[in-house]
Amino acid sequence: MRAGSGFVRSTFAIAFAAGALLAASHAWSFPIKGTEGILPADTELGEDVGLQPRELFRSDVNGGKHSYLVNLGDMAFSSPGIFGGPARQAGMSCESCHINGAGNAKLFVPGMSTRHGNFDTTGPLFNPKADNGVLDPLTPPSLRGARFLAPYGHDGRLASLRDFVRNVVVNEFAGAEPTPEILDGLVAYIQDIDFLPNPRISPDGRLKGKATAEELRGQALFNKPFPHDPGMSCSGCHIPSGAFVDHKQHDVGTGLFKTPTLLNANFNAPYFHDGRYDTYDQVVGYFDKTFDLKLNAQDRRALVAYLNAVGDGEEPMQADSIDAELDEIANFSSTFDISLPEKNMTVISLAVDTIGTELRELQEQFPERKDRTVKGGIEERRTARAHISDMVLALRRIETAASQGKFEEARAEYGAFKQLAAEARPKLAAAEPWSLFNPPVREAHFAALRELTTVADGGSVTPR
Amino acid sequence: MRDGIQAVGGDAALKRRAINSMALAALLLGTVWALSIGQAKADDLADGVKAFKPFVVEAIGNTLKGAETMQKAVDAGDAKAAQKAWIDARVGWESIEVITGEFFPDLDESIDVWPDAKKGFHGIEAALFAGNVKDIKPAVDELVANIRAFDKKVGDPAYQFTAQGILNGTAGLAYEIGENKSKGGESPYSGNSLADMRNNIHGIHVAYDVVFEQPLRAKDNALGQKADDEIHVIEAMLKKAPDLKSVDVALLRKTSENLAVDLQEAAGKLGLEKPKLGE
Repeated sequence: MRAGSGFVRSTFAIAFAAGALLAASHAWSFPIKGTEGILPADTELGEDVGLQPRELFRSDVNGGKHSYLVNLGDMAFSSPGIFGGPARQAGMSCESCHINGAGNAKLFVPGMSTRHGNFDTTGPLFNPKADNGVLDPLTPPSLRGARFLAPYGHDGRLASLRDFVRNVVVNEFAGAEPTPEILDGLVAYIQDIDFLPNPRISPDGRLKGKATAEELRGQALFNKPFPHDPGMSCSGCHIPSGAFVDHKQHDVGTGLFKTPTLLNANFNAPYFHDGRYDTYDQVVGYFDKTFDLKLNAQDRRALVAYLNAVGDGEEPMQADSIDAELDEIANFSSTFDISLPEKNMTVISLAVDTIGTELRELQEQFPERKDRTVKGGIEERRTARAHISDMVLALRRIETAASQGKFEEARAEYGAFKQLAAEARPKLAAAEPWSLFNPPVREAHFAALRELTTVADGGSVTPR
Repeated sequence: MRDGIQAVGGDAALKRRAINSMALAALLLGTVWALSIGQAKADDLADGVKAFKPFVVEAIGNTLKGAETMQKAVDAGDAKAAQKAWIDARVGWESIEVITGEFFPDLDESIDVWPDAKKGFHGIEAALFAGNVKDIKPAVDELVANIRAFDKKVGDPAYQFTAQGILNGTAGLAYEIGENKSKGGESPYSGNSLADMRNNIHGIHVAYDVVFEQPLRAKDNALGQKADDEIHVIEAMLKKAPDLKSVDVALLRKTSENLAVDLQEAAGKLGLEKPKLGE
C-alpha cells in the first residue's frame, strides 16, 4: 500500500484538474501553477536554469562525427512523441529527467517525488499499468559513461541497456512499442555519452598530479579494509580501475542496489538510489555508522576530499546558447538525409515533431513584445521569432509532402529548411542581447514569473 | 451538411453558411453577442474587411462591458462576481486576437501584458483567482481605461482595418494556437485557457469566413477548402475537449501549423504579402 496513498491519489485528482518540458525536451524547473496543465501544480523540471550539464560524446572525443543512429537516438531522447499518455501530453521526454544525458537535481513532481531530484517511475501518474502502489521514488541517474555501467536500473535488474530503455518508454511512460531502429538509436546515443574528463585521476583510477595530503589520506582510507570485516573496503565495490563499479548489487542497509560509479559524481547529487543524501559528508557519515568504520573527523574530511577529487570533471556545466541549440537542431535534422531517401515515415514524422518542438522552445527564448521585462530589441526579437516560425512551417511542409508520397517535393522542402537553418544564426544572434540567453534578461523574465506565482499563491508584490 | 466543407455558390448558400456560422459561434461561446456576427462572405477583400469591422466593434464592446462589471465588483469587494466578469471580458478579447497585436500593439501590450504580476488581464487574474480583490483596483482601473481607449479607436467610423493586417494576425494566431499548453496555457490561474483557445479559433473562423474565403476560393478552391477544413478540425477538437489536458496537443499543433502554411500560401493568391509569424 502506498504510504499516504489516499492523500496522494486525491492530490492527483486535484492536480490533474490542476496543473511541464516541453515544454519538453528542455526541462522546466519553474514551478508549474494553475488549474489546467497536465502535470501537478508546483511541478518543477528545470526551466529557469540557464546553465545546463555539458554533454560530451565519445564520437566527438575521437574526432569523428555523430552517426545517423546517434542523432536519431538523441532526437528520440528529446521527443515527447515516443512516450504516451500524460507524459506525452505534458511534453516530457527522456531529456526532462536526464538533462543533456546527466541527471536533474531540480526535478520535483508533487505526489511522485519525496524531494527535489527524485521521482517515482512506478506511480499512477504516467502509466497506471506500472503503478505498484508504493511511493518509491528514484533519482534519474546521470547517463555519462553508461556503456561501462551495466547492469541497468538502480537495482541493476536488467543486463541489457536496450531492454532497460524499452521498459522506460513502454512501461514507465506508456509509450507505443518503439521500432527496432529507434531503440537502436536510443542505445547508440546513450552509449556515446562519455564521462567528463578528470585530469586528477589516472586510467587505473588512482590520484595523480598534485593531490593534497588530505586527498591522499582519503585514498588510503578508501582502499583500507573495514575494521570489522577485512574482506570489505570502499574500493572493493567501487573498483578504481573499473570506473569505480563492480557491476554487482549490494545491500548497504537500504535494499539491494547496484554499485554506482563515483566518476563525475560531484555533479550527480542527491546521492543513493532515492536521493536521500545531499552531500558526500552525509554519505560518508552513513557508511561510517552502518559499517562501524570508526572514522574520526579528520578521516571523514579526507574521504570527502578524495571523493571530490575522484568525482570531478572538466567543465561540468555550460550556458545554454543559440549556437548549441542550432547545432542540436542540425544534428536532429540530419536524420532527413537518410529517412527521406528511405521513405521512412516513422523517422520523418518523429523529426518534424521533435525539431518543431525544439524550435518552438527556442522561439520562447526571444520574448514577445508583450513581455515588458525585456527592454528594447523589439524588431530583432520579431525577426528572430519570425525566422523560427518559418523553420517550423518548413518542417511541416516536409511532412505533408512525404505523407502524400511526394518525396521529391519533400526533399526540396528539406533543402529550403536547410537554407533557413543556415540563415538562422545571424538573425538569432542579432536578437541575443534581448533574449533569455542573456542572463540579466532571463533573470528579469523569471523574476516576473515568480511574482505571478507569489500573487497566485495569495501573496502580494510591491506595487509599482 | 457541415458548414464550410462544400464549395459555396450563390447568395442563398452564402446566407445559409452565415447562419450556420452564427449558430456554431453561439454554441461554441455560449454568448448572445456571437449571434450578431456572421456577416455574409464578401467576394472581394475590401468588402470583407469592411464587413469584418462590426465583429470587432461588438467584441471589444463586450470586453469593455465585462471589464466594467469587474471594476464594479472589485469596488464592492465581491471576488466571485469579479472573477465571472473577468472570464466574460476574455470572451470578446480573445476572439479578436487576430487584430489586437497587429493593429494596436501598444494597447495590446498593456492589456494583455505577460508576465506581469501587477498589470493587465493576467496580473489581475493571478490575484483575483486567489481571492484577492483588495490589491487589484489600480490594475483594474488601468485595464478598463485601456480597453475603453481601444473601443474608442475601433469605434471611430473612419477607422478601417486592412486585409494584409488581418491576414497577418489570422495566420499568426493560427500558428500560436498550436503552442505547447502543457504548463496551463494562456490563463493558467483562472483555468480559462481552453475557453481562450476556443475564442481564438472562433475569431480565426470569422476572419477567414468574412474576409478571405470567397476571394481565395475564386483563385484556388482546393486551398480555400483545405484551410476551411483545418479551421473546422481545430474548432471541433477544442469544442469536444472537456478540459485543456484532454486536447490532443500533437494533432492541434499539426493542424494549426498546416493552417498557418495554407494562410501563408493564400497570401500570394490574394495579392498580399506572405505573413510573418511569431508575434
